Amino acid sequence: MGIRPPTAAPGTWHHVLDHTSELMFRVRAPTWAELIAEAGRALGEALLREPSGAPSTVWRAVEVTAADRAALLVDWLNELLYRAEAEWWIPTEFAVDAASSTVIRARARGVAVTAPPAAVKAATLHGVKVVEVPGGLEASVILDV
Amino acid sequence: MGSKLRSSSTSELADLTHVIPVTARGDMRVPARVYADAELWAQIEHDRSLEQLMNVATLPGVQRCVYAMPDVHEGYGFPVGGVAAMRAHDGVISPGGVGYDINCGVRLLVSGLEASVVRPKIRELVHELRRSVPSGAGRGGQLSLSEAEMDRVLGDGCRYLVERGLALPDDLDATEAGGRLVRADIGAVSARARTRGRDQLGTLGSGNHFLEIEVVDAVLDPAAATAYGLALGRVVVLVHTGSRGLGHQVCTDYVRLMDQAMARAGIVLPDRQLACAPFAAPEGQRYFSAMCAAANFAWANRQVITHRLRETFTRCFGHAGRLDLLYDVAHNIAKLEEHDGELLCVHRKGATRAFGPAHPETPARYRAAGQPVFIPGSMGTASYVLAGRDAALGLSFGSTCHGAGRRMSRHAAKRVKSGQEVRRELEAQGIAVACPSSGELVEEAPFAYKDVERVVDVVHRVGLAAKVARLRPLGVVKG
Repeated sequence: MGIRPPTAAPGTWHHVLDHTSELMFRVRAPTWAELIAEAGRALGEALLREPSGAPSTVWRAVEVTAADRAALLVDWLNELLYRAEAEWWIPTEFAVDAASSTVIRARARGVAVTAPPAAVKAATLHGVKVVEVPGGLEASVILDV
Repeated sequence: MGSKLRSSSTSELADLTHVIPVTARGDMRVPARVYADAELWAQIEHDRSLEQLMNVATLPGVQRCVYAMPDVHEGYGFPVGGVAAMRAHDGVISPGGVGYDINCGVRLLVSGLEASVVRPKIRELVHELRRSVPSGAGRGGQLSLSEAEMDRVLGDGCRYLVERGLALPDDLDATEAGGRLVRADIGAVSARARTRGRDQLGTLGSGNHFLEIEVVDAVLDPAAATAYGLALGRVVVLVHTGSRGLGHQVCTDYVRLMDQAMARAGIVLPDRQLACAPFAAPEGQRYFSAMCAAANFAWANRQVITHRLRETFTRCFGHAGRLDLLYDVAHNIAKLEEHDGELLCVHRKGATRAFGPAHPETPARYRAAGQPVFIPGSMGTASYVLAGRDAALGLSFGSTCHGAGRRMSRHAAKRVKSGQEVRRELEAQGIAVACPSSGELVEEAPFAYKDVERVVDVVHRVGLAAKVARLRPLGVVKG
């Protein structure tokens, strides 16, 4: 069953799929910018593991560059993971200001936590793909847990 | 997919060896070899382990054969339970061949206590260990390192901890590489990696990491058990963890760097997570130096946990609670080793080094038996102490399995039972459990893993490592 939070655009969802030892996300959205935001929300849920309170009102800037969309998606998730572990803060809501195939400029807000949430070690390049589907884009990415 | 080996010197080795010939795929440079019995082979064929193993066989400079241990399962890039060796002068090094948890490994501490003394206090002991060794996701430890202290940990590993009074000189002799890889270069470790590791020294982490209080419930090789200080009914402690966020970030940094470098050079691999660089090139050397520093951090992490264990056991049992380190060995690492007359970079991802009695790196005190190897089962099942065999050099570059190996995803495990059910079942067996949440408990439940008895039986019969003793859990502190 896909999850579509209230802040997501219509046609936007993510699934967490079975993988023998790791965690796999499948994410779909009408646009690249919305897909990036949805992937961030999927990661936030995985890190929180249970419902939390409302996010803070403060938005933090996040910027990532990479060679192509697949690497950009992985780097985006790894940037959020780093921020979560270094700043004890889990981003849950996103405003993507610019998203090309090589650059993401976004803002994120989320919830403060009492311990760094390192349940996910990293997003990997293994099997990562971003493909066009009817009505938008779909991505798959595997995370080491 | 694989065929049974036909040219083995013994029929048993042939029965347990599956070979994927180099001709199976046009891009393979060497064959692949899997050690498994029929049931494990069927489980291995069920996921993408074999495809991933064949992908590894395409890497430049790969030598002789790529190997999968009987606990192999699908990972990302390399399969977990895979071994591959690349020639140092013209082959590659791949961060994905080590994994994110650099120098994840296991150490075993031996007490002088009998199980009959510990059992009545097991709940109190598990509770105390839970308090003294932080676990769970990213939980910070009681040590927060200054920049200068972090430099010493990364550069000197456990040797620095002897100076700090957190390790005994004897601990160094009982740790792979003396708990310090000399090729570590602190300048190759990013500021981000240091930030992630700053307050994580002495912490278990999450996932399948744990502390387990065990009893020796069977001695299978009396001479080797005596050499290791193991006796029937003796209480021992297994520690399984790695380099925490610091190691994760080192891998992230260098997979990214090598992926970009390969794109610029026009190198195409069957899996981007196999991103690699020539070992001798600047990118390869820099990753190796950073990996060595992260490995030093991991050994120091397990050593600080050992210090906390010693404090807790002494508090609970007085002088009788003394804990001696039997050995500490990595199962996610790349090492420079000489094999077949060549200097090779041996990648072991979810595979344990298992050198035999004749190998010069086997500690002098264990020369009669072989290098100790520890194979944790899953919670509630047996774990094993093995001894490396000299034959393993020719069969697997001196490597063996690292655990039971997952056979079921975390989500699938949650569909089988609840965490509360798993907790009740463990407690019914007399096993005290401390775990951050019931949900995490069920993810690591015994039914989510392969049969450790079967896995260990295969490596024993193949001749990678020999059974020395079987351990049964009394208490578990889960990360």
